[in-house]
Amino acid sequence: MTTLRIFFVGGLISFRALFGWLSPWIYIPTMFVAPVFQVLLFAYLGRSAGVGSDAFYLVGNAVQYCAVPCVFAMANTVAGERQTQTLGIVLATPAPRLALFVGRSLPVIVNGWLVSLVCLIIGSLILGVSIPVAAWGPLVLTMAIGAASCTGLGLVAAAIGLRVRETAVLSNIVFGLLLVFSGANVAISAMPDWMAAVSAWLPLSHTITAARDLVAGATFGDVSGLVLREAGVGLLYAAVGLTALRLLETSSRRTASLERM
Amino acid sequence: MTRTLRMLAVTFWLQLKLLTVSAFTGILQIVYPLFFATTAFLVYRQNGDPAALVYAGLGSAVMGTWSAIATTASSALQFARWQGILELLVAAPTPFALVLVPITTAMATTGLYSLVATLVWGRVLFGIEVPVGNPLLFSAGLLMTVLAIAMFGFLLSVAVARYRTAWAMGNMLEYPGWLLCGFLVPLALFPTWVQWVSWALPPTWGMDAMRAAAAGESPWFDLTMCVALGTAYASVAALLSGVVLRSARRHATLSLT
Amino acid sequence: MPVIEADDLGRSYVTTTGILRRRRTTVEAVRGVSFQVGEGELFGLLGPNGAGKTTTIKMLMTLLLPTAGLARVLGYDVVEEPREVRRRVGYVFGGDRGLYDRLSARDNLRYFGELYGVPPHEQRRRIDELLDLVGLRGREGERVEGYSRGMRQRLHIARGLVHDPAVLFLDEPTIGIDPVGARELRGLIGDLKAAGKTVLLTTHYMFEADELCDQIAVIRSGTIVARGTPSELKAAVSGGHVLEVEAYGVRPDVVTAVRGVPGVRSVSIEDQGRSQLLLVQVDHGVEVAPGVLALLAGTNVGRVITRQPTLEDAYVELVGQTESTESVG
Repeated sequence: MTTLRIFFVGGLISFRALFGWLSPWIYIPTMFVAPVFQVLLFAYLGRSAGVGSDAFYLVGNAVQYCAVPCVFAMANTVAGERQTQTLGIVLATPAPRLALFVGRSLPVIVNGWLVSLVCLIIGSLILGVSIPVAAWGPLVLTMAIGAASCTGLGLVAAAIGLRVRETAVLSNIVFGLLLVFSGANVAISAMPDWMAAVSAWLPLSHTITAARDLVAGATFGDVSGLVLREAGVGLLYAAVGLTALRLLETSSRRTASLERM
Repeated sequence: MTRTLRMLAVTFWLQLKLLTVSAFTGILQIVYPLFFATTAFLVYRQNGDPAALVYAGLGSAVMGTWSAIATTASSALQFARWQGILELLVAAPTPFALVLVPITTAMATTGLYSLVATLVWGRVLFGIEVPVGNPLLFSAGLLMTVLAIAMFGFLLSVAVARYRTAWAMGNMLEYPGWLLCGFLVPLALFPTWVQWVSWALPPTWGMDAMRAAAAGESPWFDLTMCVALGTAYASVAALLSGVVLRSARRHATLSLT
Repeated sequence: MPVIEADDLGRSYVTTTGILRRRRTTVEAVRGVSFQVGEGELFGLLGPNGAGKTTTIKMLMTLLLPTAGLARVLGYDVVEEPREVRRRVGYVFGGDRGLYDRLSARDNLRYFGELYGVPPHEQRRRIDELLDLVGLRGREGERVEGYSRGMRQRLHIARGLVHDPAVLFLDEPTIGIDPVGARELRGLIGDLKAAGKTVLLTTHYMFEADELCDQIAVIRSGTIVARGTPSELKAAVSGGHVLEVEAYGVRPDVVTAVRGVPGVRSVSIEDQGRSQLLLVQVDHGVEVAPGVLALLAGTNVGRVITRQPTLEDAYVELVGQTESTESVG
């Protein structure tokens, strides 16, 4: 029971404590206004270049943007703890590590998922993109998996953040890499082979392809393979991230580098 | 008068120094817009029209200057608030407007790093060559664009001085600026009412001036509009700064607590 | 004409809590504060954390607008003529902040020198002098981020002096500094006074106020509870003496009983780990030791001393005495 509490309640409280974005003046612009503009930017870019449809850029960017809450927030959770110097205190508790970090991930995943969905809705209204009613159910599920997968990457970023000082730079670079390589704005089929190969190993790539197919009228059955692959990628990153966090925690106990800013 | 000019020059120089030695700002300001530039190039490349790539190549080079202001102006002043420096800046007898202008101008100037980086990146990775028909006028256009963006940043920082959460709004302006100033997308694609908003932004004219000068055409009209608008923004900001400061003192928002 | 004048100064905040049902509460940080500081005086504003010292100093510094009363520095009103005030005062606060970390000390001083309109031909000389004064000569080319806390504080003072102000506001300048560094800083502050500057210092260290200040105002919960020279304060509060009793495990009801002994002005307890130190403030000329010790008959008693009151005793009494009689809310 305690594990569950650590999982849910601990996660939520830490989210609020460190995710200082709860001020509506910061939260709303970052989470709901900026992604819509990213969609508009690339949709018009596409129109100007005569490449791709509005729906193409809408889905791609709506999904890609969940990297902001999923990667930034996750990395900040750890960095923030180090800043407020509560990291040592938290890690000194006997709480089971898995429940601790996964618990911190849950609100992040929900947040990311929400951001993608809202962006998709608002963007479709502005651009006049119609999404088949039947697609919404599968879309919601697909995007949830995507957010979870991206949060896995966030855990890796969080682990690196324990070692590296400039977590914000790292998160921004990850965001940029996802922008270029995930297929958000360039169809994977239009990418050179090496880029497509990188894309396959990044979170969100499979989600974007699946979501585009769903909007184009595919059924969930058609895209289930992609969704599974996405889940696999996400789990891989999550495992790497959690292991790295554990290792870094042990090593920093030896070298007292935990609180080093 | 000379004392004021000297003050502006020295403080600008020191602020530029401050920004340049911060590797963090540097990497972010150069690298981040590069991701967007790369994406734009990848999209335009599929089109097959080399002129489109040049269009994007030039425009994306200026993106960094806008970002320098949209993101840095707001966060730098917020950072100053955290560092207790904002109060010290206000406590100085120099009018707050004259304190802010060198700061935002230094920020906009750091956008030049991004400009060079993006042009080199475009050239090396995508083979984009931006022909510059009239280098002198092109440089003038660039200078005016940087200054105009600095004035916009000045207006933005006045808001940040008053409102503790205004820095997030500033961040939010990054994308709209890229979109509306015609860096990556020709304005003709937008509905008329959006174009009116674009024309109200000084960098739009500066960008046009630069494109005209690069193509060897006359940029004078665009340059004049850029300067006029920039001056207008600066005047509004200067007028507001007095009001805003008084309000900040009343509501105790100069410090964190 | 007094150099610094505060007349019934007040500052209140309205805070709103809650997201759905917003409750507005008015907090009075400073209430009815009045004092005057003469030329060349070192005036101390002494009080515990949250007493309103920083708020008062910020109002005098023109960074905060008072919500009541008025204040003048060198004859200029802080609300109506802020620029005149700013030209003539220096502001120094304690802690790590207030400097550009990524610039060198010299560049920091140059920057603020420019903002304060120090004539260019004087800047170099003044900066060199200040670096000598605060003992940072030889390290002025290094970036501030590499400085120790004590060095930062000294640079901060140099920054406050860059325009050679007649008046200096120091807000808890020795906070967080090691004892040796703090002693040097206090020496520096004393030198400034000797140079003829008028200084207003806020602190919560009684010994600091005692050592440095010509006049002290004790502030508590936004109001001034006492004012005078250090000796006057010591005398006014307790014309008598202090009985110190070291006890092991003294019970609260015993303490209450001791309070009731005739001649006892106040009793406070200091926890010293395994023992407690009972500090009994006694009226002048009254002998309470037998009575008090009789009440402590059941408790283990160690050392018993009678001594003169210090400024710390006066402070604890001034700041603490109203707590038991104060109603909450």
